[in-house]
Amino acid sequence: MRLKHMIAIIGVCYGIMAVLPIFVGDIRFVMNIMIMCLIWAVVASCWDLMMGFAGIFSFGQVAFFVMGAYCSGILAIEHSVPPVLAILMAGLFTAVMGVLVGLPCLKLAGPYIALVTFGVHMALQPVLRGKIGIAIGSGGSVGLLTIPPVSIFGHAFSSANMVPTFYLTLLLSLSCVLVIMFTIKSYWGVAFLALKDSQDFAMSLGISAFKYKLMVFALTSFLTGIIGAYYGHFYGVLSYRMLDLDLFSILMVMMLVGGLGHFPGSVFGAFLVVAGSELMAPLGAYRAVTMGALVVILVLALPNGVMGLFIGRRKRLSAG
Amino acid sequence: MFSEDTILLFYEITDVIIAGLSTGSVYALMAVGMTLVYGVTKAFNFAYGDFFNMGGYFAWILIVGLGLEFGGYPVILLIVMPLLFAVGYGLEKLLVAPLRKRKDWENKVMMMTLGLALFLTSLYMVVFGVRMKSLPPILEGTLEVGQLVFSYQDIMIFVMSISGILIFAWMLNNTRIGMAVRAVAQNPVGATIVGIPKERIFATTFAISTVMVGFGGILLSQKWFINPNSGGIIMVKAWVVTALGGMGSIRGGLYAAFIIGMLEAFVGWMFGMSYGIIALFVLLLATLVLRPQGLRGKGE
Amino acid sequence: MKKILRFSTIWLFLGVFLFSPTVMAADTIPVGVPIPMTGWAAGSGADYFKGIKMAIDEINESGGLLGKQLEIIRFDSKGFEPEVVMQAADYLCGQKNVASVHAGWAGWGQDVRAYGKYDAPFFADDGSQAAVDIFKEDPAKYYNIYQTTDVGVEQAKSMFRALMALPYEYPNKKVVIINTDDSWGLEVGDTLEKSFKANGWKVSKRETVPYGINEWGVILSQIRRIKPALIHVEIPSGQENITFIQQFLKKPSNAIISLGWGITPREVVDALGESADGIVGEMPSGLPGPKAPNEKAQAWVDKFVGLYEHQVPAGAWIAYTAVKAWAHAVTQVGDAYDFKAVNAYIKENGYEGELGRIKWDQDNVLRAQSGAPVVHYQVQGGELQPIFTDPPLTPYQGSQFLTPPWIK
Repeated sequence: MRLKHMIAIIGVCYGIMAVLPIFVGDIRFVMNIMIMCLIWAVVASCWDLMMGFAGIFSFGQVAFFVMGAYCSGILAIEHSVPPVLAILMAGLFTAVMGVLVGLPCLKLAGPYIALVTFGVHMALQPVLRGKIGIAIGSGGSVGLLTIPPVSIFGHAFSSANMVPTFYLTLLLSLSCVLVIMFTIKSYWGVAFLALKDSQDFAMSLGISAFKYKLMVFALTSFLTGIIGAYYGHFYGVLSYRMLDLDLFSILMVMMLVGGLGHFPGSVFGAFLVVAGSELMAPLGAYRAVTMGALVVILVLALPNGVMGLFIGRRKRLSAG
Repeated sequence: MFSEDTILLFYEITDVIIAGLSTGSVYALMAVGMTLVYGVTKAFNFAYGDFFNMGGYFAWILIVGLGLEFGGYPVILLIVMPLLFAVGYGLEKLLVAPLRKRKDWENKVMMMTLGLALFLTSLYMVVFGVRMKSLPPILEGTLEVGQLVFSYQDIMIFVMSISGILIFAWMLNNTRIGMAVRAVAQNPVGATIVGIPKERIFATTFAISTVMVGFGGILLSQKWFINPNSGGIIMVKAWVVTALGGMGSIRGGLYAAFIIGMLEAFVGWMFGMSYGIIALFVLLLATLVLRPQGLRGKGE
Repeated sequence: MKKILRFSTIWLFLGVFLFSPTVMAADTIPVGVPIPMTGWAAGSGADYFKGIKMAIDEINESGGLLGKQLEIIRFDSKGFEPEVVMQAADYLCGQKNVASVHAGWAGWGQDVRAYGKYDAPFFADDGSQAAVDIFKEDPAKYYNIYQTTDVGVEQAKSMFRALMALPYEYPNKKVVIINTDDSWGLEVGDTLEKSFKANGWKVSKRETVPYGINEWGVILSQIRRIKPALIHVEIPSGQENITFIQQFLKKPSNAIISLGWGITPREVVDALGESADGIVGEMPSGLPGPKAPNEKAQAWVDKFVGLYEHQVPAGAWIAYTAVKAWAHAVTQVGDAYDFKAVNAYIKENGYEGELGRIKWDQDNVLRAQSGAPVVHYQVQGGELQPIFTDPPLTPYQGSQFLTPPWIK
């Protein structure tokens, strides 16, 4: 997809989001949902960069999100680090963790990377709830309940003042997504594509698989960690329940709806899935059944997700 | 000769080993199905755990819902297994086969089965309710050998799991279908050239794996209850066992299943039951670092 | 370009249409009920909902509240993830402008933060010290938050008192404590361990287990080696308790088995039936049944059983009572939306329920009291029979503790 198309789509999505508070700025519930959209959009995009674009089957995205969230929360509570700094540090911490996880994965083939990264996800829960977690301040099973909100120059950005917080989230989300976009369109992006399509050939050209795969881990973990940390400061509470498979499934669905590997589909996918989920809320217990069925139908009918509707006929033929 | 404490310790360790074997046999059943499907069709099934529950639920409908009294379990199995086969075959033809033509089809199948898993889990909750269901046990009573206690139910589960696997292995090696399946697994193109209907074999394999995991579900639901939410965990456990054993090797899966069963039992005994899953993934990580293709997997 | 225009209009439409506020009917009073309908806690959620619905239907049938019908607005709390809890509060109190919120399990502290931003009375049944600690941070801000059961720590102390008061001679002073690894399990487990030790008992084994555990072979063989007089298992979920008892009974030891709160999910007695005879457990803020202590209470139990065809599960009665308490306060104040007055009334006066008056204490917690006692049960004849109520610890009229059949 050409750069200017990408920018157009991102611009429209975020532009509309930026305008909506005029209509719904005083409805807390709706603003809440929109902030969640913006947060998930970043996580889904990072995951898409990893899986769809760089072709690395990582199932650890949620784990990194939670790591970033907890890291920042613990820094802010236990060590009184100001939230903005804590968020940055959490991002760096998560990036390091991403590299640490990535290192053993490099020797492995597709499904095994998924398994190892999923293992990190599954092992994180007992660690956070157990003695190690309590020792570092994760609050064990109670979780964190007193995370301070982000405050810049004395203004606190929490759910008490939704509209400014919304715009801050918008800014942060947009920045992360733009970083991803520029990565894709840069030399790195070409390298990723080459590695995904034909690793041996790319390597013979001098593209170091090792270096680029690690960079993907580092970058996506960094961004995910940052947005996770922000999530923690916004809600003020964190619990290990975020590691249940619900979030994992929903993020996958977002990538799917948007179109795997077709950036910025995941951004749109995130918005669509959240909006769709809310629209179906009146279905009550039948909502999940419907969503599951929709996902199956979607995979069969729209192989490239929503983005598939936008790829020109020419492109579709060449993409196979 | 030995102090009483030592004797009691001996019995305790034996108990731990038995627990490990018992769990291991169940894992083996779960893993074999997944190994088969992945080895032959290269399709990753996120909804695997929900197929496990499907077996349990079908049996439940027959026994509790319809009150089928006569014949007992053999009749139940006779009805449910072909049903599971049909469901597996149908799902493969309907949902998986169309995706195979596309680029990146492995990803797509994975995503589709994720949707399927979501769908099935919620469907179970809506149709059967959120409460857990139980099946009446096939056998009750216990066997006592000195201080050791074996419940007939556990013995039966162990025996039936192993039998199921053995029957399956025999079938794989000695029937035409089995050989066709192995041919497709080894070399899909070659198999087509020789005239094996690849598509039908894929569907059949999927169906067989559904039957196996559903059978495991019926066996275990007597002991562990049918919980609509447990699909995810079951899939993960099966996946770990399969990966440890090597994603295409049935024998590897068997070894892995028992190793993991024993590991869980011993870690639980020594450190506490919460550490089981950490130990599991540590083992997995260690194995994959040393042997990236799993215990007995063929190199990729 | 055309395509982009097309999709942006769809998106805009979705946004505005989806997010526009709904118009509220002026002749109903909305009541928020954020209870899990899907996910791991859906079973418990269903129990609380039964009690809440019974109360609401009762009020509506007798003319409604202040002449208006009550309308239940549900929200699926799923697994109590942080964003879901917050969304529930913003949806029910913010968007739907409910006059009160009734929940069962609600978030163990997260809910206090979420609903504390609003003023509508909020009733939760977490029994969590963490939630109470948050309340204590700012009682003025969280004045609308009410806990309908005592905290795990106090319930555990009550369990201990009951166990010590059983008409049974413990052959030794060894106890095995098994609990889950969440805040409930740890609160109860830690408190019990302290209580036992302070009374000269030896905690031979303290095991923290994750949910979903079905294979008890290892722990049971350790128990057979230890030969404790008492085993306490604190797992607030049906499945693990059922599998534990089934596997235990294959070769039982001579120990009293106490399942704590875990005896209350209906599937435990349903699945085990008479094989569970002898097990003890407790229900906090409970209404003793099947034979209730007075006429009013008996009428209530009979009505519940008539409606739902099973005995009263944990939480159903107190959830019912909370709705009634709120409705009564509103009737006295005259305005469902004068939150300050309604909350003040509830705090001041409590409510006169089937067992007498109940009052929330200065932390807005409904501590164990004679109007809402902790009821200790033993399974007899395949059904829960009350043997004690606490406080004060009193043997229950007309029933007695029987030595479990597996003890030789």
